Amino acid sequence: MALDLQMPVLVVDDYKTMIRIIRNLLKQLGFEDIDDAADGTEALEKMKQRRYGLVISDWNMEPMTGYELLKQVRSDSGLSKTPFIMVTAESKTENVIAAKKAGVNNYIVKPFNAQTLKGKIEAVFSE
Amino acid sequence: MANMKQENVARVIDFLEQNKERDGEVSLTDVMHLAEVMSGSMHDFLSTVQPTVTDELRAIGKEIARMKSEISQLRANDMTGNKIPDAGRELDAIVEATEDATNTIMEAAEEIMGADTSDPEAYQELVSNKMIGIFEACTFQDITGQRISKVVTTLNYIDERVSSFIEHLRIPGDLDAEVEETDEERRKRELILHGPQHDGEGVSQDDIDSMLMDAQADIDKLFD
Repeated sequence: MALDLQMPVLVVDDYKTMIRIIRNLLKQLGFEDIDDAADGTEALEKMKQRRYGLVISDWNMEPMTGYELLKQVRSDSGLSKTPFIMVTAESKTENVIAAKKAGVNNYIVKPFNAQTLKGKIEAVFSE
Repeated sequence: MANMKQENVARVIDFLEQNKERDGEVSLTDVMHLAEVMSGSMHDFLSTVQPTVTDELRAIGKEIARMKSEISQLRANDMTGNKIPDAGRELDAIVEATEDATNTIMEAAEEIMGADTSDPEAYQELVSNKMIGIFEACTFQDITGQRISKVVTTLNYIDERVSSFIEHLRIPGDLDAEVEETDEERRKRELILHGPQHDGEGVSQDDIDSMLMDAQADIDKLFD
């Protein structure tokens, strides 16, 4: 899968400032089509209406967490191939294992920098 | 004492003897009579144990008075009415201040990033002004630091009072009652919600990278 800067990216986080930070970093990386959602439920609705090239999601959100969103996406035949990066403060080993088992493509712990985000996005699309 | 007991038992036996031909026909008067005989038979016993019971009750009364004193020292009303709400307000103010500062800094950064660079002088002036705005926004750290100190003082106050209460009431460490898991706790457990970890507690980005790089093999090793 090649990295296409024109592809729509969905950023999912319940913290507006974090959406703003990731949106700015993605713009700096050259992405132009960036959408956002405040939790997994909203994200899933948006994903059913539009095909996103990448989802970058927080873990801890209500009512639907990023972990639940990931499992829903992977169990939906129409969405299951969507690249999914978890960006979260949840840094326990069991979280990483659970996310990996659920099919996450990469995992970034907060706080993170632009270089980490860039590196993980590139890694996902070089798989 | 032994004779008196025998006497009382004899009265009960007499009563039963006199009424054994009644073939189950018992009136309220009979019941009351029997109760009178029985209570009379216990009088001597109660007279004997009364001083002991009185001493025990006096001791319990003293203990209750001491507990009331300890509870008043806990100043629970002051905690729930003033200290804890005040700490909550300080934390709300901290969240608000950090959010305002973050927005100010991000707006400044976004304006610098999106500024027209074709006029170097105008661009330099814009950058200088925005930088000053960023420095000003960073003053939130001083105020939030003071607010956090007040919250820490409150937590220490509560800790001291509760610790003293536990100590004076001689509550053993293993007395804590089983607490039923709340819906919120169950959600956190099922959805693996731990929140941010302190330095050295969670896994680092490098650890995660190595776990994901060799995926399942590395994950399996964690279970060895």
